[in-house]
Amino acid sequence: MGLLSILRKLKSAPDQEVRILLLGLDNAGKTTLLKQLASEDISHITPTQGFNIKSVQSQGFKLNVWDIGGQRKIRPYWRNYFENTDVLIYVIDSADRKRFEETGQELAELLDEEKLSGVPVLIFANKQDLLTAAPASEIAEGLNLHTIRDRVWQIQSCSALTGEGVQDGMNWVCKNVNAKKK
Amino acid sequence: EHDGNSFLVVSVKKMFTYIWQYLYTAFFRFWLKWFIRQVTGKCELQRICQGYNPGATRTMKTEYSLKSSKSQILRNAVNVEEDEVEICVTRIIKEKNIHEQKDPKFKINLQVCLLQISGYQRLCVAVEDLRKQAFDSAVNEHENMLLKFFILFVNNITQSQFINKQWGDIGFQGDDPKTDFRGMGMLGLTNLIFFSENHTEVARQVLSHSNHPKLGYSYAIVGINLTEMAYSLLNSGALKPHFYNVVPGNPQLEHFHRVYCYLVYEFDKFWLKEEPESIMEFNHYREKFHEEVKRLLLEPDVALCLTLETKQ
Repeated sequence: MGLLSILRKLKSAPDQEVRILLLGLDNAGKTTLLKQLASEDISHITPTQGFNIKSVQSQGFKLNVWDIGGQRKIRPYWRNYFENTDVLIYVIDSADRKRFEETGQELAELLDEEKLSGVPVLIFANKQDLLTAAPASEIAEGLNLHTIRDRVWQIQSCSALTGEGVQDGMNWVCKNVNAKKK
Repeated sequence: EHDGNSFLVVSVKKMFTYIWQYLYTAFFRFWLKWFIRQVTGKCELQRICQGYNPGATRTMKTEYSLKSSKSQILRNAVNVEEDEVEICVTRIIKEKNIHEQKDPKFKINLQVCLLQISGYQRLCVAVEDLRKQAFDSAVNEHENMLLKFFILFVNNITQSQFINKQWGDIGFQGDDPKTDFRGMGMLGLTNLIFFSENHTEVARQVLSHSNHPKLGYSYAIVGINLTEMAYSLLNSGALKPHFYNVVPGNPQLEHFHRVYCYLVYEFDKFWLKEEPESIMEFNHYREKFHEEVKRLLLEPDVALCLTLETKQ
């Protein structure tokens, strides 16, 4: 590559901004995931009151990630953040089997939301570092993910703690940013 | 072009400041100290202990002086063990050729400073140990502590209430409070209990504010969040002036808990005063409050002590 083309590349159009919504039950690991994405320290995270937002550069995109608290009391506020969402990331604690039903219900309600219709959805089957974690395939089956037809979707097993699988998921996000079905 | 010029001026000024700071710390400071010592017959540590009242300014200046000393004995003094402080001071007196008879208070003054400086590090370690202890409901002691916390707020609690846990009422996220302690571990629970036990009336009052229909927030979670604030202020060293002013010796865990009490009480007041739109604004106001506390900590006579407003 010549010097000129490098310079041209440097001056090229600014990164496309992408709005990513990070949702899931409390203690699913949303904030840990967010901090992992931003390469920040994850050793003393506390429950999220309200929301956190961080911007991450990735593959020519500027990802604005909104991490909204998952506590039942503040789930009614989720809808205030739906507008203009490009990708929805839904995080599940794969080791918390007692709450699979609850998390499935919340996800189903999200997929029914008009403001999120057609929005690509990535499901992170988080906490795979725990021995008791259910594999992604089992979660996909339990949540009937194969019945989703109105959008592109993907389930990715990961551990926000170790970082394993996180980048794979984000690669999928970057590939499907513009796959929103009208 | 005008912007360019002023940018240049600022850069040049910055550069000179850096060069001056380098020359000062590397050469001038040493000769200046040597010169003053010849004139006054006192070394820098003596001048600090005589020139300032006990508290943050004296101890911070002592800490800086020790850390930037050319002598290893002085540099190591900031990490001295508690039971070796006296020996350490004797060594410093010898190293710096100080005549004890001429400055009889120096020894005890420096001892207090050293206890404070090294005690702050020990406090960091003790707090970190407690934080690293995860809450475990299988451990009886932990479960009992949680029960204790619950009882402080709910009168006439029955066993079934504890099992059916109305955890949401005291501001935990869901049915299982243990996940809420997360990165703060037992430090979070110990803080919550300390506040409720030592300021029970205030704690009940704060809890009732947190249940306000419009300005409400989740008491326990916000509490754990404020533990994180106290923890990071401690680790960044920002709490040094507070401890140096308030504890004339070796600070203990209890003193850390007291800072926490101050934060909870003051945050509650701050939150009500600011009247945020909803709980979703929490992080914005938390940051605002955090900045306010950090600003207070820059004042030399800072003391983050919970003082109740008495009603007129």
